Amino acid sequence: MAGAPVEALRCVPLFADLNESELAQIALLFKERRFARGETVVKEGSGGAAFFLIDSGEATVSVGGAERADLVPGDYFGEIALIDEGTRSATITATTELVCYGLTFWEFRPLVLENAVIGWKLLQSMAKKLRAAEENQAQP
Amino acid sequence: MTEVVSLEEVSETSVFGSKAVGLGQALRDGLPVPPGVALSGPIVEAVASGDEAAIEKVVEAVRPLGGPLAVRSSAVDEDGADASFAGQHLTLLNVPSAEELSSALREIWWSANSDSAITYRQRVGLFTRPSVAVVVQALLDPDTAGVMFTQNPVTGADERMIEASWGLGEAVVAGLVIPDSYRVDRAGQVLERRPGLKRIVIRSVAGGGTVEDEVPPELAERLCLDEGQLQELNDLASRCEQVYGAARDIEWAIADGTLYLLQCRAVTRVGP
Repeated sequence: MAGAPVEALRCVPLFADLNESELAQIALLFKERRFARGETVVKEGSGGAAFFLIDSGEATVSVGGAERADLVPGDYFGEIALIDEGTRSATITATTELVCYGLTFWEFRPLVLENAVIGWKLLQSMAKKLRAAEENQAQP
Repeated sequence: MTEVVSLEEVSETSVFGSKAVGLGQALRDGLPVPPGVALSGPIVEAVASGDEAAIEKVVEAVRPLGGPLAVRSSAVDEDGADASFAGQHLTLLNVPSAEELSSALREIWWSANSDSAITYRQRVGLFTRPSVAVVVQALLDPDTAGVMFTQNPVTGADERMIEASWGLGEAVVAGLVIPDSYRVDRAGQVLERRPGLKRIVIRSVAGGGTVEDEVPPELAERLCLDEGQLQELNDLASRCEQVYGAARDIEWAIADGTLYLLQCRAVTRVGP
């Protein structure tokens, strides 16, 4: 089947408020990408081209060489670089064979520009990340 | 729009990329290019998206080539973009058959959208949507392969500079060996033969992919091109210059005693 499974997209908070037909439309824009165990999926500091949703397998997130989190099926990453065209904020490494669905900048941007609901969800997600970062900074 | 054509019919750089068009022109001019099929950027993207109709169309077109296959990217962003994207977009050697092509095309499509390719694009001011066409050819199993400049790119001297090693030419292109090097003048006189140190040979393996094997010690420093093959390469250089113009950068291979042209590009800078 072409694209990502709609059920998988429904679990992504960014897409949670979209209806079935909107989800189906977005699902078609995703392409499968496979990574071998140990492969670097995205690298901190490099340019970013895609937003990824994990279909199967696991990965770790590290920042400045320090491990921060584990990623499992249903987790997603890469949306920040897609928005500001900046560099990746973390390194993600596949710890098992990893199958992701990827949405590139070239499809993601028109999607957000044309869909106010997604745009709003994205803003909320960014605000949440900003608050978390501020709270981290405020801690002694 | 035509999306899949045999290599000798390719003429639109904006659809099929400069590599495919260059090879198509070479075939039309009678140069010894292995047979192949060119896939447009949009159909490569459709296959990467899992579009069943696109997959079927591509498999049907490629099946007559048999297997194994060499699957090479051919950037279509702009004229001459291939050279500037060398090393960014993937080439997959030894894809076993047409049936395994869709996952190979997906990998190649992602290579143009990988973080490293995007970083490169941002650095050179080309942050535009990548489009990657593909050339699919029957994979050769060469005894010897390498690269050749039709004019010395370092000194600008009017002489052929040839580098050669055993097996697939990727060992030379990827810098895995110190290749043999030869200088040959236009009249075919060999000016210099310098044996390299070729400890590794890249060969295709049954079932797909390639493997790096050790070269027997007695072959590692033995010259891998004889006088006759150097003459053939000199003739190929002359024919490529007649077709494309002076100062060419050529990838070649010799399989079962036949010399093949794999790629012919303009040298971007010649002389001291």
